[in-house]
Amino acid sequence: MVLLICVGTPLLGAFLLPALGHWSEKARRWGSLLMVLTALVCAVISTVDLLSGRTDAVKILLPLGLSMGFRMDALAAFMALTSCTVSTVIVIYSFGYMKEYAHLNEYYLMITFFIGAMMGLVMSTSLLEIYIFWEFSSFCCWRLIGFYRDPVSIRRADKAFMVTVFGALVMLVGFAGIYGATGTFDLDALRGSQIPGWTVGLMLVGILSKSATFPLHNWLPDAGVAPSPVTSLLHAAVLVKIGVFAYARLIVLTFSIPQIYTVVVPVIAAVSALISAGCALMATDIKRVVAYSTISQLAFILLGLSSGSRIGFAGGMLYILAHSIAKAGLFLCCGIVEHNLHTKDMNKMGGLARTMPKTAVAFALCALSVMGIPPFSGYFAKYLVISGEVDAGHPVIAAVFILGAVLTILYLVRLFAKVFLGPCRNPESHEGNNQMVASVLTLAVLSLLLGFLIFLPSGLITLAMEAM
Amino acid sequence: MTILSICAHGFVYCPILVVLIYNLFNHEFARKHFIWFAGAGATWQILTSAAGFFVLHQSGQNGYAFGALWDPGLPGSAYFELSGPRFLLLLIVGLVAFVSVLVAHHTVDFNRSSYTNLLMILVLGMNGMLLVTDLFSLYVFMEVTGLCCFIMIAMFRSRADLEGSFKYLILSELSSIFILTAVAFLMMKTGSLRYTDLAGLGSRISAGSGRLEDVLFYAALVLLISGFAIKTGVVPFHSWLPDAYQSADTAVSILLSGAVNKVAGVYGLIVVMELFGDVAPVGKSLAAVGIVSIIIGALLAVRQPHYKRVVAYSSVSQMGYILLALSTGTTLGLVAALAHIFSHTAFKSTLFTNAAALQEQAGTLELQDLGGLENQMPVTAFTSIIAFLSTAGIPPTAGFWSKILIILALWQAGSPVLAAVALIAGILSSAYLIRLQRTVFFGQTRPELAGVKEAHGSVLTAEILLTVITLGLGLLYPYILMLLHAGGIL
Repeated sequence: MVLLICVGTPLLGAFLLPALGHWSEKARRWGSLLMVLTALVCAVISTVDLLSGRTDAVKILLPLGLSMGFRMDALAAFMALTSCTVSTVIVIYSFGYMKEYAHLNEYYLMITFFIGAMMGLVMSTSLLEIYIFWEFSSFCCWRLIGFYRDPVSIRRADKAFMVTVFGALVMLVGFAGIYGATGTFDLDALRGSQIPGWTVGLMLVGILSKSATFPLHNWLPDAGVAPSPVTSLLHAAVLVKIGVFAYARLIVLTFSIPQIYTVVVPVIAAVSALISAGCALMATDIKRVVAYSTISQLAFILLGLSSGSRIGFAGGMLYILAHSIAKAGLFLCCGIVEHNLHTKDMNKMGGLARTMPKTAVAFALCALSVMGIPPFSGYFAKYLVISGEVDAGHPVIAAVFILGAVLTILYLVRLFAKVFLGPCRNPESHEGNNQMVASVLTLAVLSLLLGFLIFLPSGLITLAMEAM
Repeated sequence: MTILSICAHGFVYCPILVVLIYNLFNHEFARKHFIWFAGAGATWQILTSAAGFFVLHQSGQNGYAFGALWDPGLPGSAYFELSGPRFLLLLIVGLVAFVSVLVAHHTVDFNRSSYTNLLMILVLGMNGMLLVTDLFSLYVFMEVTGLCCFIMIAMFRSRADLEGSFKYLILSELSSIFILTAVAFLMMKTGSLRYTDLAGLGSRISAGSGRLEDVLFYAALVLLISGFAIKTGVVPFHSWLPDAYQSADTAVSILLSGAVNKVAGVYGLIVVMELFGDVAPVGKSLAAVGIVSIIIGALLAVRQPHYKRVVAYSSVSQMGYILLALSTGTTLGLVAALAHIFSHTAFKSTLFTNAAALQEQAGTLELQDLGGLENQMPVTAFTSIIAFLSTAGIPPTAGFWSKILIILALWQAGSPVLAAVALIAGILSSAYLIRLQRTVFFGQTRPELAGVKEAHGSVLTAEILLTVITLGLGLLYPYILMLLHAGGIL
């Protein structure tokens, strides 16, 4: 029951928001926040159940090996908590950011609907269900990237939609292959089953396209034309994690796969990490830098999950948490800057630390977490991922990732220096409004605090590792 | 008289009755109030097909045989028969006729009387095709259907209408000749054209014997499949379809895409598959035509400059999916095909109704003249998005489930490659429809379209009705699957 409320409230409730919007602007905002908070509270309740040894689940079986259901296990709880927390902050941020635009009805509808889809996805108990929620999220992505409705946004929205839908269809062929081999879509029934190698390859296409990993990463930097809270929610914190989540759920926890993939996937991740880090060093659009950085960090997550070692897996999960918080913070900071200066070109910026000190501090803290500087949460995650890969017996790949980590430091320092340090070039700029600044500071403080309270998520991570 | 027999006879007599009563009134009155007469006929068909299905299901029988004026039990007499799948198709005919009437209320002006008469005769023709139990009667009713279509396409007397109608006439006659010849060949072979006598004929024929009658039998199969494939409008027999859909009035396009090519075309192929499905090449040729149609149709749709042409080529592509499902010859395949026929009816009629709304409000369907209409026409934009998702097979719509069923049927029948290609081709459906969205609805409004208003009245009703069907069915599909399972079908 808790799970149904958790998924249903944002998923179905979202359609009430336009009606609320006709009535009052305020009701729509608070309605949206309330629905996201409901999901968060339900996720917390269910997690408490889980930690006390009870697993919440609902399921109906359908003919033809189909089934529908939700189950809150450790991985689902971890993902649900992470995404709900970040989403709540981002919804509050959009109160301030999204005031003066048209189509706000659609905006709040899509954001809330997306969060519901995300909840559904992480708790899914069948392959088909994963696909259904996966496509929901693609659809939200399409509408939200095209939010400003100018031709460039629309073209890029279409591109993101086409790439992710293509990936999803290829993945569905993989699912159908699994169905052909086993006669069921149900994850419980499939647990531990040996599946043909080619289906893993096809699923990987879907995963790479959604998590924007080389060679299907191209849509993510372009998606920066969306409003900043959207970029932050979809393209840094939550949506792009769907791919790596699917990797963890399907390939790590459910199926036993051919050995070859424990080498292939880390190599793809390594290539992705280096190429995108290089792009981030070259880009001059602040949101593109952060987007390329996202691609690069997603490669770290994928590496951790695919290393095949338990330490790496734990590192990957922790990385999802740390990166969601820190990267959401970075994008939201970029949003404040962009909102203020009406440009995304970092060559036109400089010395903003003087006019927007709080944003600068938040940006710095989040950037330190992404770089992996102790004692931030990002440090622990990065350390575990790389040591997991060494454990798995691939020191060369681990070394490549250390290079990737160095590049991360380079491009983030460059970004920070160009935008916030140096002579002040935008004297008329000023701090964003309260909701926006409070949101970014919350995220910054969270990423610092998590470093000290790193034992908090470890209960869930240990549970998830036991399921491996 | 039982409820079932009232329903059954209604399918034959109700359209005739509507035509008779309608023509009793004077011209001006009839013109003004055509929607009530045609609407009543369509509503009756919807209600009786639903009620009839329910009653038949309750009675536990597989089918119900009846004659028009005579006793179906007499030896050698032709008779009609109702069964589950036929009820579904009859329901589709009723639904499409209903939507077409709603749209015609806005789009058809001075030809309303002819429209009403022709619509009812068209419904009679399609009902006849669905009810008959022998190939020759099938042919006769197919001609009735075809004839109504020529006139309805050409009725509005523009040059383009005539071209579309002429193409349809020529190709349709070709298909009639094919089917009539095939019927003659089969008659030579068996001396009877009843479905019951023809079924299983294939197993008594050996392919390599070289005897003339066996060769003629295979020729008959080729002609039957080609004939019905022309009516369906699949590649390589598709050339009439975009022209006919584009030039016809939108109310007529809805009839053509929603019902006529499904009943006159796909249902014919269902019959062929039921009678001769045990001859291996039949299934294979359907699969080949299907997969080629899916891909070519979608590729052609991507570049079309006119709204209705995009939607028409999309039909070509979607018909390919239906043929692919039929080609398996399994029960699941048939269920999947019928499911997709129904989904297609709903989403394609939505797209055409949107076309009617655009034509009425914005005055054009040329894609280059449209843009950013979602602000002016929010309902039309929303319904078109749902139809787009359903066409592309994206959840939670009816089209998603029917496509999944098709894929499962193909996989179970042992053609995973076809299933994979069909699935990946879904990206092409997304491509042409996302282009349609971009050029028509999504984006900034063009200044010259700033004064456009939302559609109103019956067109708006039709859009909402069809979208509710698409979405509601999509959400209820798990339940429908359980019902089918409980009924022992899956």
